[in-house]
Amino acid sequence: MKKFGIALGLVASLMGSAVMAEAIKATPGGAVNLVLLPKFLGILPFDQADRGAQEAAKELGNTGTYQYIGPTPENSAAGQIEMLTTATTQKQGVVMLSNNAGDQIAAVAEAAQAAGTKVVTWDSPIPSGKGESVFVAQVDFGSIGVVMADMVMSMTGGAGEFAVLSASPDAANQNAWIEAMKKTLAEDAKYKDLKLVDVVYGNDQSEESYNKALGLVDKYPDLKVIMAPTTVGIVAAAKAMQDEKLCDKVKVSGLGLPAEMVSYTMNGCAPEFALWSFVDLGYLTTYTSYMLATGAIKGEVGETFTAGRMGDFTIEADPGREGAKRVLMGPFTVYNKDNVEAASK
Amino acid sequence: MHPQTLRILALAVALLATVLFFSTQIDGYLSARMFTRITTSAAVILPLAVAQAIVVITRNIDLSVGSIVGVVAYMTGDILGQFPDLPPVLVCVMAMGIGAGLGAINGVLVAWGRVPSIIVTLGTLALLRSFLVEYSDARTITTASLPAWLVDLPQANAFSVFGLDVRVTVVLALASAVVMGLCLSRLRAARRVFAVGSNPDAAVMAGINAGQVVFWSFVLSGALAGLSGFLFLAKFGNITVVAGMGMELKSVAAVVVGGVSVLGGSGSMVGVVIGTLLVDTIDNSLTRWELVSEFWRDALLGFLIMAAVTVDTVMSRQLGRLARKET
Repeated sequence: MKKFGIALGLVASLMGSAVMAEAIKATPGGAVNLVLLPKFLGILPFDQADRGAQEAAKELGNTGTYQYIGPTPENSAAGQIEMLTTATTQKQGVVMLSNNAGDQIAAVAEAAQAAGTKVVTWDSPIPSGKGESVFVAQVDFGSIGVVMADMVMSMTGGAGEFAVLSASPDAANQNAWIEAMKKTLAEDAKYKDLKLVDVVYGNDQSEESYNKALGLVDKYPDLKVIMAPTTVGIVAAAKAMQDEKLCDKVKVSGLGLPAEMVSYTMNGCAPEFALWSFVDLGYLTTYTSYMLATGAIKGEVGETFTAGRMGDFTIEADPGREGAKRVLMGPFTVYNKDNVEAASK
Repeated sequence: MHPQTLRILALAVALLATVLFFSTQIDGYLSARMFTRITTSAAVILPLAVAQAIVVITRNIDLSVGSIVGVVAYMTGDILGQFPDLPPVLVCVMAMGIGAGLGAINGVLVAWGRVPSIIVTLGTLALLRSFLVEYSDARTITTASLPAWLVDLPQANAFSVFGLDVRVTVVLALASAVVMGLCLSRLRAARRVFAVGSNPDAAVMAGINAGQVVFWSFVLSGALAGLSGFLFLAKFGNITVVAGMGMELKSVAAVVVGGVSVLGGSGSMVGVVIGTLLVDTIDNSLTRWELVSEFWRDALLGFLIMAAVTVDTVMSRQLGRLARKET
């Protein structure tokens, strides 16, 4: 028994890094009105987050309300600002936001906090961190850079040209990942023979991404890999390479959904891609929000808490955004032909 | 020379100049591959531009075409997923039928509800997108769920001339423009479209049922947007709720550059085809041009629209003055 106690203490100290504090547990049965606000409605990743959030709310026995609301795609940024304002006047407990409005939303988020509605971001943070209680980060933005570089490495066999097909030029999360990848390429000598020739943007539209992918192969005849860190871009690029029968020459990789990518992974057009679980992200965000609203945690750096089936997490300073705080989820899964079929079900 | 003929000639020269200019800038530009790239990408926009042209000629505008493309592409893909054995022709007709139905909503509101078309179609642009979000339930249509004939359709060749491949989708899109062009210039009923657009009051005095003409032009616009939706589904295969978003702007650009007057009453399908080609050629070429950064493409497209409208306004004013002097 004593031995067990020591082991537990060791684990806790490892988890909580410098702090020796024990993980805080949630008290179930509280009443917190939760709102999950994605970038926009109608695409799979956000629906998966909704599933995870519902699972957590049920587990916590939350007697408050839970709403999954969001703007339509063409009204994303303005719609988010409007919905956050409405949630504040309705005196909601926590708004869980995947921000698509950049820093424009910061003023509204600060007003929400002042009125007693907490704002917890997930997937995409508020760049300045203003008005945000904490950001639940899917993965460490720096480590995505390493994974992207490694996938290019394995697909090119260590040397050759590649290009990036991103979402929109002002998408905060994608831009951070591309910067992280550039840094990785520059700092580690093992990537010295990889050459990033271009970064283009498909604006998360299949037609634009498709045409941009074809443009890349026309522009760079020696191109070996198209790296698309967006779920829309990666499918469009894979389809373009398959249509042009270029899959032997140009491989597609990046961040994608197994259900959408399975046929391209099996036929070799996109042999390898990565993603994290959006179900888990919704689940962890809901735990964090609930515990913040019930006062179990204060949202201060160093606090460690238990998020149900996912284990212990610690609030830390966000290395990418000065003065902002994050809860780091991680890790992600790399999909290839061995595991993609099971994951696509 | 008739001013309309003059304009088409000027457009053709502009297209030729664009192609020649980029051939000096981009390696391997004058190739069969580039021809296929541009024609197949323009084919998705062309029916939409034809649709927009008909509506603009009646002195209206249809901003909902992009949303109609999205809804039609998604619903057609969804239905095909459940009934993969539907015959191809029926699928195409069905796509156009869904589009026509959606266009009829616009038509009723504009023609008999007397609401300005810009308001009505701005409303349906948002409404149809919201409907799609509800209808889709966040599922993605993937190529894996579509029948092989549809997935292979964009690669299918209709015929080749001088080593240039003309794809089936390109023929389909061109056919829509040719049929509409012939109807507008030859059919008596279709001439009413011009009459209503150039002077609605005079048209009514002349015994034309202006409401009916406007209604049917929106139905037709919806049907053609449906054809675009079908081609969109075939070409891109993976359809989410953002499908077709923003395409209304491209269609307006093609129509305006193609010389259809935004004041209604004038325009030709030949102009629309060249306008579509010109806009799409510029778009595709800038993507491959190393000198111009990503961020200037949209600005250039905007500049092109403004230039086209300005030239249009100045020219018609000058022509009007000349005509007055002669009499």
